[in-house]
Amino acid sequence: MSAPETKRDARARRTSPLLLLAIAAGAALLASGASSCGARPPELVAPTAAPAIAPRASIAQDSAPKEEPRLVPAEAWLRTYLQLFGGLAPLDAQARLRGADGAQIFDDWATYASAIGLPDHRFDLPRGTQTNATMLATFERLGEALCARAVEHDLQGPKGGTPPGPPPLEARVIFAFEAPSPGTKLERASFEPRFDVLHRTFLGYPASLAPTDRTGRFLSLYQDVVARHAAKDAPKSRFTPEQAGWSAVCEGLIRHPEFQLY
Amino acid sequence: MDAHGRRTFLQLLAGGSLGALAASQASPVLRALAATTAPVAASAKDDFFVFVHAAGGWDVTLFADPRNEKRGLVDPATTDNTDVRDLRLWVDAPFDGDVKSFQIVQPKGCAIPFGPGIGGLVDHADRICLVNGLAMNTVSHPDGAAYASTGRHLVGGRAPASSVDTMMANELSREQLMPTISLDFPSFYVGDALDRRVVPLRIGQVGTLTRILHRPTFYQTSGDRDAIGKALADEARELAAKADDAEVFEGMALQYEGVRRMLGEKLEEALSPAALKKAYPELDGKAKLHGARALGLSFAAEAMRRNLVRCTSLAFTGFDTHASNYRQQARLQQEMFDLLAAFLQILDRTPHPTRAGEKLADRTHVLVVSDFCRTPQINLAGGRDHYPTGSAVVISPRFKGNFVFGKSDAAQLLPAAARKFQDGTRAIAPPDLLATFVSAFGANPRAYLRDGEVVPELLRA
Repeated sequence: MSAPETKRDARARRTSPLLLLAIAAGAALLASGASSCGARPPELVAPTAAPAIAPRASIAQDSAPKEEPRLVPAEAWLRTYLQLFGGLAPLDAQARLRGADGAQIFDDWATYASAIGLPDHRFDLPRGTQTNATMLATFERLGEALCARAVEHDLQGPKGGTPPGPPPLEARVIFAFEAPSPGTKLERASFEPRFDVLHRTFLGYPASLAPTDRTGRFLSLYQDVVARHAAKDAPKSRFTPEQAGWSAVCEGLIRHPEFQLY
Repeated sequence: MDAHGRRTFLQLLAGGSLGALAASQASPVLRALAATTAPVAASAKDDFFVFVHAAGGWDVTLFADPRNEKRGLVDPATTDNTDVRDLRLWVDAPFDGDVKSFQIVQPKGCAIPFGPGIGGLVDHADRICLVNGLAMNTVSHPDGAAYASTGRHLVGGRAPASSVDTMMANELSREQLMPTISLDFPSFYVGDALDRRVVPLRIGQVGTLTRILHRPTFYQTSGDRDAIGKALADEARELAAKADDAEVFEGMALQYEGVRRMLGEKLEEALSPAALKKAYPELDGKAKLHGARALGLSFAAEAMRRNLVRCTSLAFTGFDTHASNYRQQARLQQEMFDLLAAFLQILDRTPHPTRAGEKLADRTHVLVVSDFCRTPQINLAGGRDHYPTGSAVVISPRFKGNFVFGKSDAAQLLPAAARKFQDGTRAIAPPDLLATFVSAFGANPRAYLRDGEVVPELLRA
């Protein structure tokens, strides 16, 4: 037995053909629109050159240093000194620098601590940040000690060492070059490469890039010292004239303003 | 740079030859240095300073504030508690039966009553400005030493202000070859306002300086060193000419020349302990109690004669007599003041290095201070302990001579009101004395001292 048809069923049966017609019309409309979009060419924006910005003023770039050269802190100076001396601990370096030969070339670190600008916190004395004559005199004493001992080690060789004579280049601490044979007069061409080794060791860059005629100045110094030691009335020295000359060059570099300042 | 400042700088820094050298160059560093130099009295530019610290706390009842009677807390020095054998100025005065105290030392014309500890310095009473009853407000050695030399008590164990030798070096000594040498004096450098060149070079003994200047003869000649120094000075000048900031390089060039001068004048020999003893035999290097310290005064005399050091500060030790060693407190004082008297005689006869016709004594100013003084009572160990009163001795052409200012309480030896200050009537204190000292040379005390008031009564008109 079937249920009687309701009014709602009858209304649905009457409107469904209209709905189908509307859907079909919409689909046809969409289809026609899609086919027309796909037919348009893509829109491309052509690149154009940016217009030049008109200069309003012109100033030079200021690349000048704004801070004056500063003194290397005493601790850094000491560390560098020890490194140059072969990387020894301070007390070991002190023992080597003093030596047992009665040279009186070095005392002890405590003697120099205040003069080289180390702070003394017991008395609230700050680190020295400017050089003074006493400080430079102390650097001279310390520099002379380092260079004299380096000449003994590198250019003379240890006493009783085997084989006798200077150590090989790779074992030298400062003078890592072949020294000219005694009596050889060094000209600029033969001095320059050797000086360059020392210059790079102490000042960290090639001598040819120095802002002054450093090679010429130090060649003059070398020749001056060699001549003084080679003179007949020269005072007795533990160095040959050439060794004294190289020692003087070494001192000049370890006391150089560029070694003390940064 | 004004001509005056530039000339001063050249003369002081490097001597005649260097002066001529630098004078030929319009040096920016010279201009800069002159610009940073604080204005001081022009007449003080050739003056020298010697600061002495009697370390440990001296007994003022034996010399500056003499007490020879039992009054209140005061137990005076007597033959019972004091070794009087070597005290030249001790003359017995009645005390208690066989026990004697001393007679006040006051030569004819002397306005200051002294005790026998004053020793030979009594002969120079006409140039002594004595300050008594200084309110030290401390009985701690480090604090008292710092307060006496800086005018400030320690803060957290640290000195919050610079010491007087640093102050004077900053005013007058920036360009000196050696601005200030401190032989164990309580020297402090505090703050960023002072020139870094005047950081005191603290050394334990004179020999340290000569060791720094010693050059061995086994390797290089003096000619070699001079050639190296010249090459470096030339190098520094050339770097200065090419540098954006030439001052540092120019300063180094002058300092290289200064080192050449130091070595050329053989300062190592002249300032060696042996040479100083020989040059100044009257400063008895073999004195029993202060022999080693006599060298400090010899060094000061020689360094001033050569115009090397503007401010020399030194300490005499051994005054901390808590126990039976108090018996020699008077001798300690006598020896120290004998040495100072001998030092003054040296200054009297030594020509000033830059002022023709003048002697060093005309331009040298001496200030002697201590941590504090010692208790008026003798303790059970036969000594005296710490007490918050102080005295100071000023010997200076700018201070009144034969003059005493300030006082202590008669019965308790505590500081007594000296005058009316801006903050009321009170005793004089170290900041007042230091402010007066600094101002005497045209410097502004407020640039260095937080406290203190100038006491014009101490100064010559």
